[in-house]
Amino acid sequence: MKTVIKTKDLTKIYNSSVAPVKAVNNVSLEFGEGEFTAIVGPSGSGKTTFLNLIGGLDKPTEGQVIIDDTDISNMKESKLFDFRLKNIGFVFQSYNLIPVLTAKENVSFIMLLQNQAKEAMEKRAVEMLEQVGLSDKIDVRPSKLSGGQQQRVAVARALASKPKFVLADEPTANLDTESAFNLLDIMSRLNKEENITLIFSTHDQRVIDRARRIITLVDGAVSKDEAFDR
Amino acid sequence: MKTLIKISWRNIWRNKTRSVVIIVAIVLGLMGGVFGAAMRLALEKQQFEDTIETQISHIQIHHPEFIANPEARFHISDGLEIASDLNKRDDIKVASPRIVFDGMAATANLNAGVRIKGIDTEIEDKTTGLEELIIEGSYLIEEGRIPSIIIGRRLAEKLNTAVGSRMVLTFQDIEGEVINASFRIEGIYSLPSRTFEERKVFVKNTVINEIIGDAKAVSEIAIVINNPDDFRSVASELQNAYPDTRVRHWGDLQPSLYYSLEVLDEALIWILIIVIMAVSFGLLNTILMSILERARELGMLLAIGMKRAKIFSMIVMETTIISLFSGVVGLLMSYGMISILNNTGVPIPGGDGLSELGYASVLYPSLETGFYFQIVVVLVVFAVLASIYPAWKAIRLQPAEAVRQE
Ligand SMILES: Nc1ncnc2c1ncn2[C@@H]1O[C@H](COP(=O)(O)OP(=O)(O)O)[C@@H](O)[C@H]1O
Ligand SMILES: [Mg+2]
Repeated sequence: MKTVIKTKDLTKIYNSSVAPVKAVNNVSLEFGEGEFTAIVGPSGSGKTTFLNLIGGLDKPTEGQVIIDDTDISNMKESKLFDFRLKNIGFVFQSYNLIPVLTAKENVSFIMLLQNQAKEAMEKRAVEMLEQVGLSDKIDVRPSKLSGGQQQRVAVARALASKPKFVLADEPTANLDTESAFNLLDIMSRLNKEENITLIFSTHDQRVIDRARRIITLVDGAVSKDEAFDR
Repeated sequence: MKTLIKISWRNIWRNKTRSVVIIVAIVLGLMGGVFGAAMRLALEKQQFEDTIETQISHIQIHHPEFIANPEARFHISDGLEIASDLNKRDDIKVASPRIVFDGMAATANLNAGVRIKGIDTEIEDKTTGLEELIIEGSYLIEEGRIPSIIIGRRLAEKLNTAVGSRMVLTFQDIEGEVINASFRIEGIYSLPSRTFEERKVFVKNTVINEIIGDAKAVSEIAIVINNPDDFRSVASELQNAYPDTRVRHWGDLQPSLYYSLEVLDEALIWILIIVIMAVSFGLLNTILMSILERARELGMLLAIGMKRAKIFSMIVMETTIISLFSGVVGLLMSYGMISILNNTGVPIPGGDGLSELGYASVLYPSLETGFYFQIVVVLVVFAVLASIYPAWKAIRLQPAEAVRQE
């Protein structure tokens, strides 16, 4: 299996006013193409920090993040913007969508930033919204959607531009159980069907067992790394 | 680009109350500024018309001594020839020769100091439009047995006299001898200027010249030029052509009016710049508030790869749209307001005092269309400047920080 993301001795130290915090501590991991991985651990264990580092949103204090042979840990900021835009899909816990745009416009937006042709991107946006089961919400604005539906639009957007991998930081944290399961089902299906590498973090016991690989962080360090066949 | 405009436009209407408040503030600010500017312009124009057009004319020529001693003996040699030469010039509309001197006017038991102006009735009418100013009786047309005189309304009140009554003038003749002459009040004129009404009396030059003993004496030539903007160059040309005389343009004669008109154009735009600066600070505050509220969303946009430059231009765009929108609305309303006021006129409080100084007490504000465009440009420039700080704040967000859920 081809390796998409590789971290080497990845460390992030926050210099807070009280004492330095080792949010990510010496993490060396590899993520293969098509993986569906959960990063789990209690709150404060470094999940968000880790995802921000491999997503190029934050700079490591030490170590490297290598994506398809490109070391992004020392990439210039302006290059990182382009890199993220082309290679990484993001789903956050909330505030994923532009409130003044409809579901379709939100999904198209990422492709617009990539300067894709208008017709192709609209077609793709509709297709992706169908994939996440929102074909009837295409022209609806986020405020008229439920939390679960909003997260599905975010997933559709993250996948629409065919990134190398998708990072989802606690995507189900604000969702009720049914919506949480539903979102994970969709993510799992898209992972298989589109062969998209998907990494999500969670401390939500309900959805952990959907993942095919579970990495447990404790105090910023990897304590367990298990694979499941499902 | 199109999507950016669409997002900006919709963002403006996200917090309707806030946007409406700032739009109303800009609209009212513009209306106030435009009103102030138009009123000021109208006041100056009115003053110009009242003072220059009906009283002073653009240029006056005198005997140099006459200015300190307004007596008949200080007259311009060959004054009539000079006046007729001037009337042939292309740049001069009309040149009115007058014989002018100070004297005393008396009725049965009252008297007052006056300035007597002997005029060529036809030419004078073209110069100051005296005939139109007559409110009682008639202009100096017929010559009866007793020569006619036209006096101001205030003088008539002061001397308690009326059209048809006698008036005796006492003055020095060409040799400096004191003489008396009797006139019949033919007409009474009225002007916004009370001092003018009280002091200036008009008689026919032919009549008065005969009385003072010099048929051709001219002590003042009042000139109206074709292009009022050329008053400086024409005046200096005339001074060179007639070196024995003293040529003064209206700026020399009314220096305070001259300087206030001189700085007017600049003053107008400054009034508006100040108003626009004030509303721009309001705008800055509004945009800043909306940026801070949207920090998460903007962080998300930065995270997914929207470049800082694009975010920056999106925010500048929002400000530009909101300022253009309120600018156009504000100026349309200002334009409507000025058009209405231009018809109805605006009475100035304390207008009586102004009338004492020689100015009208009702103003008709108006502005050139170009001025409105200038305002829109200034407004948008300031709005864009005001958006730079909030936009800069926005692009300084760190995506990793902004998207963190605490
Ligand atoms: N900007 C920061 N400054 C200082 N400490 C931080 C900052 N961000 C996160 N931390 C600390 O780093 C640790 C890991 O945080 P985080 O990655 O958010 O964990 P998780 O996502 O698993 O809850 C926590 O102890 C947190 O308090
Ligand atoms: Mg977290």
